[in-house]
Amino acid sequence: MEKNSILKLTDVTKRFGGLLAVDALNIDVKEHSIHSLIGPNGAGKTTTVNLITGVLPVTSGTVEFMGQNVTGKKTYEIARLGIGRTFQNIKVFQTMTLLENIMVGGNQLTKMGLVRTILDFKGAAGEEKMLREKAESLLDKLGMYHLRNEYMKNLPYGRQKISEIARAMMTDPKLILLDEPAAGLNPSERAELVKVIQQSFEEGFTFFLIEHNMDVVMNLSDDITVLSFGKKIAAGTPAQIRDNDEVITAYLGSAFVKNKEQEGAE
Amino acid sequence: MNNMKNNKNMKNALKWAVVLAVVLCLPNIIRNDYWMVVFVRVLINIVLVLGLNLITGLIGQMNLGSAGIYALGAYSSALFVKNTGLSPWLGLLVAVVTGIVIGLVLGYPSLRLKGVYFSLTTIGFTQVVQIFLNNMTKVTGGSQGLKSIAPFSIFGFQFDSYIKSYYLYVAFVLIAIFCAVRIVNSKWGRLYRSLRDNSDAVEMSGINIADVKVKAFIAAAIFGTVAGAMYAHFYGYISPSTYTVDISMNFVLMLLVGGLGSVSGAMFGAVIVTILPELLRGLGNYYLITFYIIIFLGILFFPNGWVEAASRPIKKIIAKRKKEESASGEK
Repeated sequence: MEKNSILKLTDVTKRFGGLLAVDALNIDVKEHSIHSLIGPNGAGKTTTVNLITGVLPVTSGTVEFMGQNVTGKKTYEIARLGIGRTFQNIKVFQTMTLLENIMVGGNQLTKMGLVRTILDFKGAAGEEKMLREKAESLLDKLGMYHLRNEYMKNLPYGRQKISEIARAMMTDPKLILLDEPAAGLNPSERAELVKVIQQSFEEGFTFFLIEHNMDVVMNLSDDITVLSFGKKIAAGTPAQIRDNDEVITAYLGSAFVKNKEQEGAE
Repeated sequence: MNNMKNNKNMKNALKWAVVLAVVLCLPNIIRNDYWMVVFVRVLINIVLVLGLNLITGLIGQMNLGSAGIYALGAYSSALFVKNTGLSPWLGLLVAVVTGIVIGLVLGYPSLRLKGVYFSLTTIGFTQVVQIFLNNMTKVTGGSQGLKSIAPFSIFGFQFDSYIKSYYLYVAFVLIAIFCAVRIVNSKWGRLYRSLRDNSDAVEMSGINIADVKVKAFIAAAIFGTVAGAMYAHFYGYISPSTYTVDISMNFVLMLLVGGLGSVSGAMFGAVIVTILPELLRGLGNYYLITFYIIIFLGILFFPNGWVEAASRPIKKIIAKRKKEESASGEK
């Protein structure tokens, strides 16, 4: 059965002055799938994520999330609609504990304003309890409950990366955008990350993954879109992408492919 | 687990009860008008610094506009009371409304300006306020200031002596501490701290940063204008020369000495920075330089504030005891 589309980019274009960073990009991310966006450095992958999340305005084209046009909406409005995100360069709250980091993610689920928080003891305590329990259960699932009171700056890089995913999950998202989650991780941390993504996927999350590590991409993805110089050069299943000449050329260069062909002929 | 939490709460309550008892007994221990004035100034400064702590201590934006906020609070309440002849309590309400307006005026630039640019803007704000107060002679009295500002009163009971004002202002401070503690220890305090660390991650969590920041500025400005009104109705005289950038710097020093971000730190800093120069007056011409050397060294050696530095050995002992207890429990 054909899955519904959760995120749809139609002819999305982004120009920075004379530079065409994303060129009429069309992507269709299906509900409950892991869709990867790959491409060489400077291909426009992070720009695409920034366009989806409203960090950058699109030059032309539309971004639809669950059938709703979100083009031009503010970042926090898009997040509230159900898009969570992690960052290429890790963005955590270093001076706060792991638990506090995750609880910030759930803030938008609470309702009480500043004055009511001061005056309504019971209501404020109830909200705090709800946030704490939700964050603790999330950390428990991710195997980090025992680290909840550790300051973020004291945690290893891999744990910090996973905590970003947990913070995104705390917002109750339908779709999570992961921007190079495996970058800078050692093999054991990478294996843990893959486990976390797989486990979360099984729980019903949809992922849009930007990643350079091909093992991670090929093992996890249902669909892959390949970008080169802002243009989509291929899209398909991991098997289709693996054998695509244009993708190999974009990643390894035409000289490499030519040499390889010559070696094959000899 | 619950027992430990209850014990901690009990200890905290006991600590605060002792502090409150000392504060309430102070006028009977130190029977001296000069020191009563200093203590009242401490109380006024605590209210202002508790507000400044929200912006500079938690959100991390260096606000050097406290003097301007303080001045507008003092003048709005004093002018209202002098021109209408109504109660200073209504003047206080006018100061609160002024705080809301200042919060909006300073809050929006804070969304676009960061670091030194924001600090310069707040210095500019203080300068504009001072120039305005000096030059609007017909309204503000110009450099001569405003005299004979009525003190607070309740049902005919006037808080017209130092001791009476002291006790009234202790009540003001208790309300201010209550509000500050409720904010700092709530989801709002956590949100402010997260904004200091990384605003992109906060926005991606679905938080409207503009809304959160402007509300924080309004809250902080209300603390500042209330402190201003307290000053005006205590001294009975205000003039623009009081509200210089120097005192804005002093308020920031209070935060740095006590420790950024904590309510007890803000209070302790206000006490030290207000009282220490008075204690050093015996040094004659050298009292101010000695004061600033002590503050400078204090900040240099205890960058997280003196409260944190003082509580560090106690925390170590508690941690050691806990470790021993858990080790003996395992046996």
